[in-house]
Amino acid sequence: MTAIPHFAAQRRFAHGYALSLAALCALLFLIGFPAAGYGQPADTREVFVAGSGNDALDQYVIRLIEERVRETLVLRPLSDWHSPSSHNVPVIAIGPAAVTRAQNLDPPPPVLALLVKKSSVEDYPGRPGSQLSAVYQEVPLIRQALTGKAILPQATRIALLASTESSDLYQPLLGQLEAFGLEARIFVADTNDQLIPALNRALSYGDFLLAGPDDAIYNPRNIKHILLTAYRRNKILIGPNQIYVKAGALASSYPPMDTMADQASRHLEQFLATGHFPPSDYPIEYRVEVNEQVARSLNIPLPDPEQIASTINRMLEENAGEMSE
Amino acid sequence: MTTQPRPKDQPASRLLPVLIAGALASVTSSPATAEIDAPEFDASIVGFDEPVPEVLTTTRLRQPKTRVPGSTTVIDGSMIRDLGIKNLYEVFRLVPGMTVNFVGSHQPVVTYHGTSHYEQRRMQVLVDGRTAHRATLSDMDWESMPVPLEMIERIEVARGPNSAAYGINAFLGTINIITRDPADTDGGEVYVSRGSRGYQRTFGAVGNSGDTLDWRVTMENRRFDGFDTKRDGTEFRDGHNLNFFTWDSRTDLGTEANLELRAGLVDGTNRQDGDKNGELWPVEHPDLELRDYYLQSRLNYHLSPDHFFHVQVAVENFRREQQYRIAAGNSAANCLKAGDALFDPGAGCFISADPLDDQPAIYTDLNGDYEDTRLELEVQDTLVLSEDLKLVSGAGFRKDTLRSETYFNGRVDNYQSRYFGNLEYSPVNWLTFNAGGNWERSSTTGESYFSPRVASNFIINDRQAVRFVYSEAVRTPDPFEQDPDYGYTLRNVTPDVHSTLEGYRVTMADINPDLSQTTLGEDLDEENIRSYEISYFGQFQISDALLHLEVRGFRDELRDMIGGVIQLQNWTLDNNLAADQQGFELEAALEYPATTLRASYAYLDQDTWYTGAPILDENGNVDTGAQRERADLLERMSVTHSGSLAVIRQLPWDVTVSSAFYWADQFMRLDEQFERIDARISKQFFGPSYSAELAFTLQHYLNRNPELGRDDNIDHHNQFFMEAALRF
Repeated sequence: MTAIPHFAAQRRFAHGYALSLAALCALLFLIGFPAAGYGQPADTREVFVAGSGNDALDQYVIRLIEERVRETLVLRPLSDWHSPSSHNVPVIAIGPAAVTRAQNLDPPPPVLALLVKKSSVEDYPGRPGSQLSAVYQEVPLIRQALTGKAILPQATRIALLASTESSDLYQPLLGQLEAFGLEARIFVADTNDQLIPALNRALSYGDFLLAGPDDAIYNPRNIKHILLTAYRRNKILIGPNQIYVKAGALASSYPPMDTMADQASRHLEQFLATGHFPPSDYPIEYRVEVNEQVARSLNIPLPDPEQIASTINRMLEENAGEMSE
Repeated sequence: MTTQPRPKDQPASRLLPVLIAGALASVTSSPATAEIDAPEFDASIVGFDEPVPEVLTTTRLRQPKTRVPGSTTVIDGSMIRDLGIKNLYEVFRLVPGMTVNFVGSHQPVVTYHGTSHYEQRRMQVLVDGRTAHRATLSDMDWESMPVPLEMIERIEVARGPNSAAYGINAFLGTINIITRDPADTDGGEVYVSRGSRGYQRTFGAVGNSGDTLDWRVTMENRRFDGFDTKRDGTEFRDGHNLNFFTWDSRTDLGTEANLELRAGLVDGTNRQDGDKNGELWPVEHPDLELRDYYLQSRLNYHLSPDHFFHVQVAVENFRREQQYRIAAGNSAANCLKAGDALFDPGAGCFISADPLDDQPAIYTDLNGDYEDTRLELEVQDTLVLSEDLKLVSGAGFRKDTLRSETYFNGRVDNYQSRYFGNLEYSPVNWLTFNAGGNWERSSTTGESYFSPRVASNFIINDRQAVRFVYSEAVRTPDPFEQDPDYGYTLRNVTPDVHSTLEGYRVTMADINPDLSQTTLGEDLDEENIRSYEISYFGQFQISDALLHLEVRGFRDELRDMIGGVIQLQNWTLDNNLAADQQGFELEAALEYPATTLRASYAYLDQDTWYTGAPILDENGNVDTGAQRERADLLERMSVTHSGSLAVIRQLPWDVTVSSAFYWADQFMRLDEQFERIDARISKQFFGPSYSAELAFTLQHYLNRNPELGRDDNIDHHNQFFMEAALRF
């Protein structure tokens, strides 16, 4: 799928012939948009946007960022990027595929990655002279673990399902849990044949199953088996994100899009001021998505999502000295 | 997700009004209002890969307890295993109001609110939707049920009449045993347990979960010696040695349909003591040879996310061979030849002029063989009309074929057909109505019956509900109660001097001198029950602990109950008893971090009376004592107080300890109570590709006096069991 963001500016430039049929409209646009038709001050700087290919998502993200940087930046589609004039103009990349496209430009521009996982950014080899910073989409695993604890206060054991490769993802978590009266164990499944046996053993061990951002395990092909098996065993899945809550996971913490947009705008502002992005970071605020139907069916009393989120924050604050996200 | 059409896909002329309007808006609007141009977007569905399917849809989810129309106890398979329960029937001691004991040669009896004794007629028992009752005697053979404890996902016990959903045998309650899905048992599993009284259980399972086929095969051997000694101190021959094989599979037939296939075989010996079982005068133990099998097929079809149905066909065959030799004196043989009733005091069949004539002199084989075949067909449709309205409806047909020379003198076919439905409606979020009914016709009585059930659940919040339930149910007599042709055929008669008795069929007429005092041949009517229930379900978060509480108050009116004796020499079955039962039941669980406490308690007040024709004594007066004895037959397992306490605690180093206390107060016959404490400690091992467990269980009988049968003696207070399990 072609990944081109479709926002208002692009529409107008892509369809100049339409404007020629509406000179009155153009005049009125100029009156309404003194800054070259973008609704921005004359001293604004450009930022390119590499879209994800999901039109609705791209427009939504662009709208959120435009709201926050309207005074200083103008967002243009990546198709307007021309070397070398666009050199050192930052690119907002929405999603991992967009990061790849932006990084493949020559010369590589500074890239601010949004809606990406920490692992995908860390693994990206980058290119000499390139800058890559990100606002991670995923939730720190300790926060996801505490999401389960806030819903099942009586829980003490967390089951983790991972491949040998992805088990590293959970290693930092294992040392953080003790402060919260929790322990966890990783059950390894490296092949499809090993998935259900490992899952069964994991469900026998844990009070709930915690899912991290591990596409090898939690993907559209596996999730049916995982959710049905867990449900039949009266066990719940926490995480890995909101999509899986819709599928049948009981809950997941998630960073609100407007919070991520706030952080993205701050990254952009810092770039404008210093010429460098700040280091990649997790969002600073999280909310909780719950599946009330599944909770009711499993006879699990479910606090309000806001209450769950505040319980998580309280637990993290109380143990702030012993660990950090 | 909706995607707006791109402008270039639209004719420019059609864009003109939009552009004009947009331009005007840009002149007149503040920057903030420009946001309304952005498309609506559901921020919760951010995904770049293929879409994630909604798996746990409405039709896949179980009803929450706040909306279930009646009290239901759910025992998870993990709890059964954690408490070290050794036999399936012992699970039911955890269910409030249920009692477990033994009759005959260690034949387990499980009842809810008593009333049953030898024949456990008044509960419906299902295994994965398949009726588990034997057809001939409407009885349960718990020891030969092809359900390995390791494969139990959960057991749901609907307490109270539920004929509206499960048909006319769901008279007092329904046990629904759900085994683990074949998709959940991918891999291998081996389990071995050894313990006191010759307890041996060896189990193995292997399965695979694929793209279109999930399957599992299990094999199990169960051995047990039963009780130790009879009242006279001699060994009680009441054990078993049984082998089991089961197959479970599910094949996906596209995204909308799947086909479940299940099959099972049971083979082995159930040892019977000649003092307890066998008619006339056994000189051999009348052991039972078992040969059972079942085949079950179920097609599940999802017409839409809110509408699905299943079609199920099951064939079950129960075969029991029981052949043993008996001996009698010449005097008894002569009575048979002369046509004198054996128990006629004047005939001298046992006490003759010459004592030598009473010594064993004629030997012959008897058999208690029978074979039942049940064919079941069921169609059930579930339609979720809206979030507040759900309709379950269906139809069923059942054919029982009963073959026995002894019990039916040939073959009997029995037919049942039924239509059922239940409407669940929640007009407001704090109220759910359930109205259901079952119309059923049985060829046993040649009549039709309607069993309704209505319930209102007042949901205080998602955590608490009060239920009001009214239900009616019937139980029709089983074929042996209604149409017996009971008699033992003598074969291999020795010595030759008695060869004229070869092939002779001994019936009640050859034994009982006063057939007018029996009811053999008289038609029986259906039993009736009306049940009223008020129950409360609540969940409370207490700091880190979660408390589940369910209290059930009930009043049941049982009428036209069939009571009496089923023996070759005496048959007194009749609709001559009535009972009122009232009481309350409590079930509570408190889940602390790493610790689970569970308690159950039941109080049952049963008032039983005789309603049949007056029983007269030899002087022609009403024999109230005899009538009371008849009524007492309905109370043998109706205990006033019963319950259980259990605790399961996880310790460091993957050690789990558990303990349980079970009691049932004052079984009527011997006025004794069952009291036992179990304790278990287990250590789990988690490897990279396997899990293992070692466990030790102690059962401590606080009371060793038999509660029901005087021969049911356990010699030692303490019973020990070891377990080892490996999953990979």
